[in-house]
Amino acid sequence: MSHINPDFADDITKFGAKDFNLCFNCGNCTAVCSLSTNDATFPREMIRYSTLGLEDEIKSSLKPWLCYYCGECSSDCPRQANPGELMMSLRRWLTATYDWTGLSGLLYKHMSVYIGGMIALLAAVVGFIYYSGLSKEVVMHYGHLFEMFAIAGVFAVILLPNIIRMWYFTVIKPKVKAPIKVYFKALSELFVHMFTQKRFLGCEDTKENRTRWLLHFILVLSYLSLLFTTVFLDWFSTSSTFVIWLGYVESAAIFIITTVFMSMRVRKTDAMHKHSQPSDWFFVIWLFLMGITSFAVRLLIDLNLINTLFWVFTIHFTVLVQWALIIVPFGKWTHFLYRSFAMYFERIIGLNNQLKK
Amino acid sequence: MSPLNDDKDSITSSFYLTKQTSFRIAMKQRIGVYICHCGGNISDYVDVEQLSKLIANEDNVVISKDVMFACSDSTQKDMVQDINDQKLDAIVVASCTPKLHTHTFRNVAIRAGLNPYNYTQVNVREQCSWAHSDKPMDATIKAYGLIRAGINRVKYSEALENIEITAQKAVGVIGAGISGMRAAVDLARMGNHVYLIEKEANVGGRVAESGKLFMTGENGKDVIDRLYKRIKEIPEITVFTNANLDKVSGSIGDFTLEVSVKDEALKLNVGAVLVTTGFDFYQPKEGEYGYKLSDNVITLQQFNKLIETSNDKLVYNGNAIKSVAYIYCVGSRQSKGENKYCSRQCCSAAIHSSLNVHEKFSGVKAFHLYRDIRTYGKQELLYTESSRKGDIYIKYEEKEPPAVEVKNNKTVITVKDYLTYKKELSFDVDLVVLVTGMVPRSDSNDISSKLKIPTGSDRFFNEIHPKLKPVETVIKGVYIGGTCQGPKNITESVQSSLAAASKINTILRKGTLELEPIVARVNAETCLWCEKCAAVCEYDAIKPIESNGKMIAQVNTSTCVGCGICGPVCPSNSIEIVQFTDNEIESMIDGFMEKAEINTKQDSQENEISSGKQIKLNGFPKIWREIASALDDKTLTIPQLSEQLGVESNVLTWHLMTMNRYGVVEPAGLDEDEAYYMYKLKK
Ligand code: SF4
Ligand code: SF4
Ligand code: SF4
Ligand code: SF4
Ligand code: SF4
Repeated sequence: MSHINPDFADDITKFGAKDFNLCFNCGNCTAVCSLSTNDATFPREMIRYSTLGLEDEIKSSLKPWLCYYCGECSSDCPRQANPGELMMSLRRWLTATYDWTGLSGLLYKHMSVYIGGMIALLAAVVGFIYYSGLSKEVVMHYGHLFEMFAIAGVFAVILLPNIIRMWYFTVIKPKVKAPIKVYFKALSELFVHMFTQKRFLGCEDTKENRTRWLLHFILVLSYLSLLFTTVFLDWFSTSSTFVIWLGYVESAAIFIITTVFMSMRVRKTDAMHKHSQPSDWFFVIWLFLMGITSFAVRLLIDLNLINTLFWVFTIHFTVLVQWALIIVPFGKWTHFLYRSFAMYFERIIGLNNQLKK
Repeated sequence: MSPLNDDKDSITSSFYLTKQTSFRIAMKQRIGVYICHCGGNISDYVDVEQLSKLIANEDNVVISKDVMFACSDSTQKDMVQDINDQKLDAIVVASCTPKLHTHTFRNVAIRAGLNPYNYTQVNVREQCSWAHSDKPMDATIKAYGLIRAGINRVKYSEALENIEITAQKAVGVIGAGISGMRAAVDLARMGNHVYLIEKEANVGGRVAESGKLFMTGENGKDVIDRLYKRIKEIPEITVFTNANLDKVSGSIGDFTLEVSVKDEALKLNVGAVLVTTGFDFYQPKEGEYGYKLSDNVITLQQFNKLIETSNDKLVYNGNAIKSVAYIYCVGSRQSKGENKYCSRQCCSAAIHSSLNVHEKFSGVKAFHLYRDIRTYGKQELLYTESSRKGDIYIKYEEKEPPAVEVKNNKTVITVKDYLTYKKELSFDVDLVVLVTGMVPRSDSNDISSKLKIPTGSDRFFNEIHPKLKPVETVIKGVYIGGTCQGPKNITESVQSSLAAASKINTILRKGTLELEPIVARVNAETCLWCEKCAAVCEYDAIKPIESNGKMIAQVNTSTCVGCGICGPVCPSNSIEIVQFTDNEIESMIDGFMEKAEINTKQDSQENEISSGKQIKLNGFPKIWREIASALDDKTLTIPQLSEQLGVESNVLTWHLMTMNRYGVVEPAGLDEDEAYYMYKLKK
């Protein structure tokens, strides 16, 4: 027996959902969704759960992650109930639910906290650079160290526990008892999705969608390899021409593609970009800043101007810190991670069902 | 051989003439028969040409013709001419149904100076060509029989006059709810006196008891007050409250209503009666969804009162109400129970109440447990608005209704939600509102027995035909309006009572009214007043009267509907129905059973039609021959043909389509401008 919670609707509204109350359960959205399958039908079911406030059902569902927000459902809904946007809001809500620190929810729901946090980090970075009395080389060295430790720390303290929580909610609690070998067998799904986001291609096969997927793919690849280039190949200090050029290409790809994405959001070209939330904006702007400032810093180093124009590094470092401490652990970045794991868990559940049969 | 061809032609017509009857009439001697092709509808299967030749040989038949379209203006003109030229004293039209064209051909007779009742309609389309399209030969034989039956019948037909009665220009309206009140105003404005008879102490009925009304947002009481003010200003309306209808007698144009108002007994003379007695709300049984078992279960009507009387906060029994569950279809749509119908207005009413709650009080959650949402028409906006406000809709099915229980002072609802894979949901609420439907009034039997209005299986009053005669009852002069007829919202109730008002006005307007003379009549010589006929007459049309020193039956021609029940029960065969006399019916049977000798169709139309200069097209309209010769070796468009022949293009279109059907012409593509079709002769 499930308990109705009518207040859930108000809660999910704070995560961006709008008008989903208008749904009259015709099921058109599910019928048109190219990613919905007989085994996993959505989004109508998720809308129904949200209306009734069946939190347990939503918490244990991977379906919100299976949606790539192509917007088909929203444009075909006869009630303008915006099912696609609800799925997006559920992803935000799930991110907040998985997060053991509770900070994700806080940052989503309260803009002031978000901006406050960003400003505090800005102050900390500026304070560190200009008042610690350290030389510029040492500051840049610490920057590199920070990057390494931040990545390790955020992953170990926040992301890993959150993924374990996600696994608990979606696999363990619903009593999916899969043997270890299934976990191994499904592992390929995790990596394939993480790097290629290939499921996105399952959406309506249009030219725009393929371009979008390609851009997305290059962006993910550039982002991950830039991370590798700066952290492990020490891009800012290296003297290898190959590594230097590699870094240039990667950072350039990032800021060019993010510029395209930003213009899509401004022009609201498709459903996915019609209802941008502040968190969406922060994500894409900061990614853009990451790309352009690291490009600039390396350029200044190569031109031997970094000492005279050190403020450029200050900006880069601030963006990096904000990115690593707020956006990556609590913001939209996690969607990328959870989505890949959702595919992984979904695969595990599927394989396990097959095994049982 | 068809069973219709049985040898049975030995009965002579003298049998009828020797029979004891006091209504001997002169047999018709000069009969005209018209058999219709119906543009192929009939003649494709029934050999109408041969029939018209055969019928020409029948006794007393002066003219027998087959015509392309009997109902067309030109054929009607021909008929009028024939009647005058040939001095016909009766006509038979063998075409489609009497429902469709009785009036058409009665008017033909009238225009030709013939009594309209000296015409008989025979249906050779629905009953022959359409029904037996697989057996054209048998269809032809059957048509032959039916036409002969028609000829025999028309031989006995009498010239009849419509019954004219004087009508009281006064109307009795029973029930002063919104329907009755509104109809009274219109009836009075059209110049009738209106007696508005209300059982209760006050006018206004259910509407006066309701608060805010949906769609307009007005208050029910205000609407009634306004209407009542208007009624009081109209001297032609007399309102009786606390009045009881005791007895009704008389018939259309002249009813007597016996009404008692307190101790006073009144007799009101009216020409027609409008019944607008309204409905009752369904009363839930004890224990139905916890009704009466829990204080927190109330009906929608009680809830509406609560909304109206609460200020600032919604409080019931001292408790603040923060959540309400509405259970729909209570007492309606019972597939196994008495009330199988949907009460139409309750979905809208419940949602409207929920919106009123949101408007007046804040923070009240609403759960709607429904079976289907039927907010038809503009009322759909209410549903959209309520969804937008966050009301939760849960769909249940009749076989798994929600359960209402009281647990630890909480009213708990459990329900299987059909929109969530029948997931069992539970939640507690502060108040349960039962959305009850409409049922016939508890005293409707009393009214229906006094006025003899039939009721349907739903126990509401029945109209004659829901589409074609929606406010008329089988009792002439008695009309129904509003919810006494079945569930309606206020708009629909007023619409129907106003429709009834204008219907009533059309019959009373002239002060006299004409009724068809097809009624029962009594043979005064042989009737013994055994009362058998009076006992079976459902319309109370037969009363005794003294005649030549004995009692005999007398038929009230304005109440008699000509149903014919009385005829067979009379032991002395003294009562019969005009136009359905024994003579007519028996002679029809004879005509139908007479042996038919039909030739198999040898020369079909196709053979007759040959293109070229010598187009025969015998038996077809002259214009066909003209079209055919114009089209000889040419292809022409309709406008070209129209110019050449000097015939209007719409007439040409129509003929070309029929010729196409007969295979005389065929389309030959579009013309150069691609504006018109071209036609050519079919080789
Ligand atoms: S298409 Fe719209 S109304 Fe229909 S089920 Fe989906 S969200 Fe609801
Ligand atoms: S946005 Fe696209 S993928 Fe997501 S539920 Fe709607 S149709 Fe499916
Ligand atoms: S109007 Fe709605 S509540 Fe009333 S009987 Fe019909 S379906 Fe049921
Ligand atoms: S049943 Fe015949 S005999 Fe008896 S009263 Fe009627 S008409 Fe006369
Ligand atoms: S025909 Fe019918 S209505 Fe007329 S008197 Fe006979 S039984 Fe009564």
